[in-house]
Amino acid sequence: MNKFFTKKLSIIFFIFVPIIFLWHPNWLGFLGAQPYWPLFWLLPWSMINGSINGLIFGLFLGIILDSLTLDGNFTQIPGLVICGFCFGRIKFNSDFLVGHFRYGLICSFGSFICGALIFLQILIKDFSDSTFLIFMPSFNNILAEVFLTGFFAPLICTQFLRILRISSRKAQ
Amino acid sequence: MLDIRLISTSRLRQKKKNLILFLILLLLVFVRISKGSIYKDFYYFISKPFWPGQFQKEVILKSKDQESLIKLNLLEQDNTRLRKILNIQESSNIDNISAAVISRKTGSWWRQIIINKGSKDGVEIGSTIIGPGGLLGRVKNTSLFTSSVTLLTSPESKLGVWVDRVKISGLLVGLGDDYPSLILYSKDADIKVGDFVSSSPASTLLPPNIPIGIVQSVAEPFKTKKIAKISLFAKPHVIDWVQILKVKINE
Repeated sequence: MNKFFTKKLSIIFFIFVPIIFLWHPNWLGFLGAQPYWPLFWLLPWSMINGSINGLIFGLFLGIILDSLTLDGNFTQIPGLVICGFCFGRIKFNSDFLVGHFRYGLICSFGSFICGALIFLQILIKDFSDSTFLIFMPSFNNILAEVFLTGFFAPLICTQFLRILRISSRKAQ
Repeated sequence: MLDIRLISTSRLRQKKKNLILFLILLLLVFVRISKGSIYKDFYYFISKPFWPGQFQKEVILKSKDQESLIKLNLLEQDNTRLRKILNIQESSNIDNISAAVISRKTGSWWRQIIINKGSKDGVEIGSTIIGPGGLLGRVKNTSLFTSSVTLLTSPESKLGVWVDRVKISGLLVGLGDDYPSLILYSKDADIKVGDFVSSSPASTLLPPNIPIGIVQSVAEPFKTKKIAKISLFAKPHVIDWVQILKVKINE
């Protein structure tokens, strides 16, 4: 049983991403926004398993998260698919500090792409005279999310990466 | 010798008596000058255990509640009667369901809460959700045990509302922040900061007269519209319990 859990840790974490996404702990928030949780799992997974796996699991995550959130105005799939694919092309860095900061920077960039794509979808789908009203709240959301994701990524991603590497080694 | 001793003892007693009398007199003068405050303060302390207690306060509050309830019922009956005469939609609060908030996403792009009552408990898509203060949103989706509620702050939310003071309808649009915008399709609308906004009597989606919020700021007229920011009464990020209104809306 223990061996099974160790081998399937990545999948267990994958199952828990939507739970954390739903949990939405307010005390971790900044300006009402939360870190973009799916990227913390997607980055280590894609780095270990490559672009195609990243793309596929980005799609899976997007489908699950879209079904949890109600908004029919936009979908998270494009952002997560692009991130999954791009993250798979990133090489590991042996330097401890550089590695940590890289994860922060990469996740911030990924969060910006996802946020910008969501914003564009809202703009296109809901275009009217009063569309300009959503500009400021949207910029606020994107920037707060980018900051928080980049802030937490070095800590969470390194731990995930370590656990997933051990898990994939044991699975082989 | 004995006589002399007796005389001196009686003088001493007399002196003592005089001193006591003088002190009493002094006390009375003080009482007179202070207008009996010392008595009143003393009475305050000794009568404290006999004051009307919590029980009596509760009895009074309970009777006040009953009085308010009776008044409310009378006003509701009156309201229903008048609504029937005017042939406009009516709402009933007989079938309200209480539910706890089990998940909330009140920031960023997603503005929704998930409550612990679903289709099993009779919650239907489109039901109105109210919390302490007023309207929170509408049920968008139900599962067997849970329901997802689109909040008024969600970019997806668009509802018809009513500004009571100027008797004008408008559209309340969520923007993805905590302050939805009220769009009035008349640039001459006399809307002011502090105006009360409630659900529109003409709305086919919501029961009428549910408090929503107050006007926080009014922007300069844009084309033929006037836009105002609304501060909501019900704060979704702190509310733990909500009410699901099972309303009959005559469309």
